[in-house]
Amino acid sequence: MVKIGILSFAHTHASAYARCVKELPNARLVGIADSSQARGERMAAQFGTRLMARNELLAKADAVIVTAENARHARWVIPAAQAGCHVLCEKPIAADPADGRRMIAACEAAGVQLGIAFPCRFMPPMLRLKALCDDGALGKFLAATGANRGRMPGGWFTKPKLAGGGAVLDHSVHLVDLLRWMLKAEVVEVYAEVDRLMHDIASDDCGAVTVTFDNGVFATLDPSWSRPRCYPTWGDVMLQIVGTDGVAAANGFRQKFDLYDDRRGVGEWHYWGSDVNRAMIADFVDAVENDRPFGVTGDDGLRALEVAVAAYRSAALGRPVKMQEISA
Amino acid sequence: MYGVGIIGCGGMGSGHAARFASFPDAQVVACADVVEERAQRLAAEHGARAYGDGRRLLADRRVDIAVICTPTPFHAPLIEAAAKRGKHIFSEKPLARTLAEARRAIAAAEEAGVRLMVGHVLRFFPEYALAKRLLDEGAVGRPAVARTARCSGHPQPPADWYGDYAMSGGVLVDMAIHDIDFLLWCFGPAERVYCKALTHRGPALTDYGLVTVRFRNRVIAHVEGSWAHTPGIFYTQLEIAGDRGLIEYDSDTAVPLRVWRKPKRGSRAPAVVVPESPLADSPYAAEVREFMDCVRTGRQPSVTPEDAYRALEVALAAEQSTLRGEVVALPLA
Repeated sequence: MVKIGILSFAHTHASAYARCVKELPNARLVGIADSSQARGERMAAQFGTRLMARNELLAKADAVIVTAENARHARWVIPAAQAGCHVLCEKPIAADPADGRRMIAACEAAGVQLGIAFPCRFMPPMLRLKALCDDGALGKFLAATGANRGRMPGGWFTKPKLAGGGAVLDHSVHLVDLLRWMLKAEVVEVYAEVDRLMHDIASDDCGAVTVTFDNGVFATLDPSWSRPRCYPTWGDVMLQIVGTDGVAAANGFRQKFDLYDDRRGVGEWHYWGSDVNRAMIADFVDAVENDRPFGVTGDDGLRALEVAVAAYRSAALGRPVKMQEISA
Repeated sequence: MYGVGIIGCGGMGSGHAARFASFPDAQVVACADVVEERAQRLAAEHGARAYGDGRRLLADRRVDIAVICTPTPFHAPLIEAAAKRGKHIFSEKPLARTLAEARRAIAAAEEAGVRLMVGHVLRFFPEYALAKRLLDEGAVGRPAVARTARCSGHPQPPADWYGDYAMSGGVLVDMAIHDIDFLLWCFGPAERVYCKALTHRGPALTDYGLVTVRFRNRVIAHVEGSWAHTPGIFYTQLEIAGDRGLIEYDSDTAVPLRVWRKPKRGSRAPAVVVPESPLADSPYAAEVREFMDCVRTGRQPSVTPEDAYRALEVALAAEQSTLRGEVVALPLA
C-alpha cells in the first residue's frame, strides 16, 4: 500500500488524480496540503481525506503528487524530496528551467523519484504509435507534426508569473515529450511564431513551433488555445510521424461519439477511450511500490520546458534558436 | 468561335481540352506535346491539329487561346511567347519557376492586352470557397491561426519530372502553393516565412514540407504539404481559428460515397475502397468558365496574375527558407 499526499489543488488535474488514487487498490490518499485553506478544506471534504500542514503530510506520505501553479512546483517538490517522499509533478516541470534543475538535484540528493505527469504517454493510440516506431515499421524517421489545442483555460494559466508562459508553454511540452520519447532524439533548434490573438489575457494564446532534432527530423507543433467555447470537446492531442517506409497519425481523443441533446444547446463529443490519468497514476504508484523507475523523469520534464523557453526566445528574436543558447 | 490550343497533353491538358470543348463558342483546334503521339491522340479526339512543339502551335493563326499544361519551367516562357502572338492564356499553376520569369510573363500579357489566368483551382472548390465566404462574413471573428494540409503519395512515372525538384520545386512549389494561394486570398499579404522540408535533400521520390507563414494581419498559418504518403492516398485539411469560432474541414470525413468492390473472381488483386466526392459542377470546369467569361468580356479574372505571383513568391520563400535555414522576409527582393 502506497500512502499518497496531494500538494495543492491549484491545477485542474488534481481532482482527476485524487479520484484515481482513491480508486487504486494499492494506494491510499492520506491527506492534502494546499496554499489555499478554503480550497484545501473543500477538496479534503470532497475526497474524504484531511487537510493538513505540509510537514505533517510529508511525514505521513510515501509519495506526493504536486499540482500547484507551475511557478510554485519547486516550493512543494523540494521539501517533499527532503522529507523522503517520491514525487509526481504536474507538467511543465516548472515555470523556469532553473527551478526544474533545483528540483531534479533535490530529488537526486534525497534518493527519491521525480516523475513528471505527461499522461499523453499513457494514451493507447500513442503507445501503439510508439511501438510502431520502435519496431521500425515507419522506416527511418523524416518529419513529424503535432497538435495540442484546447479551450483557453483562464485563471493562473494565463498569468505568466504563475504559469511561466501561456498556450505555447502549456501545450508544446506534451508534444515535445511525445516526440522525444518516440524518436529517441533531442531537440537542437527551435523556431516559433507566438502571439496573443484570440483572448483578452496577459499571456500568449497561439503559436506555431518548429523543432529540429539531432537526427535531422523536423516537426511543427500547434499548441494554441484555439478551441471556441462552443466546440464539442475541450481540445485534442494529435501526432503524425513521417518515415521512409510510411506515415502514421495518432489522435489521442478520437475514440468518441457525438451527443446531441437539446438540453445542452450544442453538440458534444464524448470520449470513451481508456482513462489515461488512471493509467499514469497506477504506473507511478506501481513504480513506488516496487521500487522501479517511473518512465517519465525530471530530466524529461526539463528538456520539454527548455524547448518551450527556446520557442519564446525565438519569437522574441525573430530567428531560429539553438538549444545550446538555452541550456547554457 | 474561339480556337483553343492545348500545350502539354497529359492529364491536365486532356481534361482542360474537354472543358473548353464543352463551350458552344470554343473549339480545340490544336494540341502540342513533346511526345508527339500524345498530341496526336488528343488532337484526334477533338478534330484538331497536332504539334510536337508548343511554339509551333502558337504560330497557328486559328489559336486564340493558349492553354499551358506543361512542366513548370516552361509555363512562363510559353506565356510570354503566347502573349506576344496576341493569344489569351490559361496556364496551370505555378505561374513560373522563378519570380523574374513570372514578372516577364505578367508584363508580356499586360503589354499585349490579353487575358492571363493561372489555375489556382482551390478557390473554385466549394468547401474552400465557402470557408472564405464564411470568414469574410465574420464567422470565426478575427482570424488567428490557420492550418492546411495537402497530402498524397509522390507523383509516379511517367510524370517523373515532378521528382526533379529543380524543375517542379517539389511539394512546396507544386502542391503547397494551392493552400498558400488560398491563405493569401483569405488573409492578404504575408510578412515572413519559415520552412523545413525534405525538398532537395530527402530520399528519392519522397518530399514533405512544413511551412509557417506569418501574415501582415498577424495571422499565423501552418501549411503541410506531403508527397510522402502512400501512393493512391490523397486528403486535404483546413482549419481557421479566430477569437470567436473555428472552421474545421477534413476531406477524409467529408466523403459522401464509398464503394467497396470485391476483387474479380480468380483475381489476386486486393480489394480496394474507393472514396468519391461527386459534385454537380467540377471546380476545374468552374475555373475554366471563369476564364472564358473574362476572355469574352475583357474583364480581369478573379484570380489575377498578381495573385499567382504572390503565391509563387511565398512558395519560393519557403524553398529558400529550408535551403538556408533562415526566416525569409517578404516581399522577396
